[in-house]
Amino acid sequence: MNDIALKANNITKYFHTPQKFQVLKEISFDVKKGEFVSLVGKSGSGKSTLLYVLSTMDTDFEGGLEIESQDLIGQHQNRLAAFRNKHIGFVFQFHYLLPDFTALDNVMLPALKLGEKSKQEIEANAYKNLELLGLPEQALKPANKLSGGQQQRVAIARALINEPSIIMGDEPTGNLDSKNTEIVFDIFKQLAEERGQTIIAVTHDDEFAAKSDRILELSDGELVG
Amino acid sequence: MIRSTNLKVAFAHLTSRVKQALVAVLSVTFGISMYIFMNSFMTGVNDTQTELAFSTLAHIKIYNDLPEDRSNILQNVYETKLINVRNAKVIQYTEGIRNSQPIIEQIEKVPEVTGVTSQVNMSVYFRNGSTKFNGQLSGVNAKKENEMFGTATSMKFGVWEDIDRRKDGLILGSGLANKLGVDMDDNVTVSTADGITKSYRVIGIIETSMANIDNSKAYININTARQLESKNQGYATDIQVNLIDYDDANELAERIGQNVDYKVESWIEANGQLEAGNELRNYIAIAVSLTILLVAGFGIYNIMNMTVNEKIKEIAILKAMGFEGGDIIQIFLVQSIIIGILGGLVGMIFGFGVASIINQVPFEIASIDTLPMAFRTVDYVSAFVFGMITTIAAGFLPARTASLVDPVSIIRG
Repeated sequence: MNDIALKANNITKYFHTPQKFQVLKEISFDVKKGEFVSLVGKSGSGKSTLLYVLSTMDTDFEGGLEIESQDLIGQHQNRLAAFRNKHIGFVFQFHYLLPDFTALDNVMLPALKLGEKSKQEIEANAYKNLELLGLPEQALKPANKLSGGQQQRVAIARALINEPSIIMGDEPTGNLDSKNTEIVFDIFKQLAEERGQTIIAVTHDDEFAAKSDRILELSDGELVG
Repeated sequence: MIRSTNLKVAFAHLTSRVKQALVAVLSVTFGISMYIFMNSFMTGVNDTQTELAFSTLAHIKIYNDLPEDRSNILQNVYETKLINVRNAKVIQYTEGIRNSQPIIEQIEKVPEVTGVTSQVNMSVYFRNGSTKFNGQLSGVNAKKENEMFGTATSMKFGVWEDIDRRKDGLILGSGLANKLGVDMDDNVTVSTADGITKSYRVIGIIETSMANIDNSKAYININTARQLESKNQGYATDIQVNLIDYDDANELAERIGQNVDYKVESWIEANGQLEAGNELRNYIAIAVSLTILLVAGFGIYNIMNMTVNEKIKEIAILKAMGFEGGDIIQIFLVQSIIIGILGGLVGMIFGFGVASIINQVPFEIASIDTLPMAFRTVDYVSAFVFGMITTIAAGFLPARTASLVDPVSIIRG
């Protein structure tokens, strides 16, 4: 059995404005299934850029990218969107919930889009996810009525709804206090260990990184550790 | 297929910005109601105009036209030579329609025909003592004439049908009566082109509100007119035909013309200016109303663009979660379509209201009492259809912009 979740092969990327600049320099690495990986590095080291390349949202790069043994190079945008929908969950620094929807609706949205389960099932799963994140009472509140920490947890519940093989976080705790940071970290840890979901998170938080399974450090677009 | 998830997002967008959505709906409402009003008004004007015109004009007229100009037939044989025929004349061998009855019977069998009547028209001099005016004398069958043109309703004094009973009776146009200085029961002398002079009694005065008719026309019994011209019983100068639908006149004139040896002329051929006026007014209505719709379209475009800009982060996150470009287009297009449908429905009601109110505004010129207005389903349907087309077109561009949003650049800021 192949236990590689993600395979990056010689990823090179340039920024073209304001002038040509190499952000990522031949980056290659594998991530195993169920691994909790932190991407660290100074501002401008290219770690976020790398994450968006891995996320399939940024397709303007050279090199190879495989997730779940699927080659994602040269795929059409719509194919990639469908792939993200099924296989990748996102948690961003800002929650980016739809403010007019309730927490529950926000969580259900990616699953409704995927359309593999009935609405009742999705709703039950969404409740389960909100419970996992300690938010069952907030389910029917509009997203913009929740606190920052609650919103970020709803965003995580949303990232989990389609049971993606990989969860990607762009500074998922960057906006949270230490207590909420701990909650989020514990959830990630639990997901990786109990459900075997792969976590790749960009972080500035050394403590957060230190507790993860593996640290990938970037410096000036190169993988240094 | 519109996905219910996309519908849900679209509804959330609309309901979160009720005010803006309402403004957009109002702009469509305005556009569509004005479209309906303009077109109803123009159609009303056209119909009134046509109705006025048809109060004296038949849909099809049959008469004895001048023969073709054959004064120089030799030229056709000797094409290379110059042939000069001196003092050439076009000779009309027959005058009028000698035996109109068989033609009338034949035309009455055509199912699209609603009325046929024959007339004996001539140019005459009307005299009263030393005052003398030339004008048109029309020998008519009063009953049939009234059935076709409603002439009796224009009578100012006297009774129209008296023409059928009184062989010595004359009905004068009101302007002509004025000019001649005659009143009811006075005598008027009529002189024909052939020099025959006869005296008739004024038994009625007619006012059609069309000056050229009121100032120059008079009616007598058709048989009296035949006598005056020394013609036989079946004689007529014109046969007038009315149809169920006057728009069919050209086609029917051609059909009837195949079986009749005389000139069969539709009103469209004879009165190009009427048709041109109608057409031009229609063009004005279309131009104005489409312009209004276009402005409404810009309103929607503007508001949808604002929405897209406002929701750009949501769009980015939807795309990150796996929504495709097509889903995003659906989300925003659905909003435009909802705005269009709401605005269209309200606009149709509002347009009907405006048209009804304007239809009550007094306008007392000629035989009109209020501003004319037509209420035709086709105007409402086409307003709705054009409204929807405008809405979809105006909504599509912002929707496309939204679908092309690059999630990375938005999320990373």
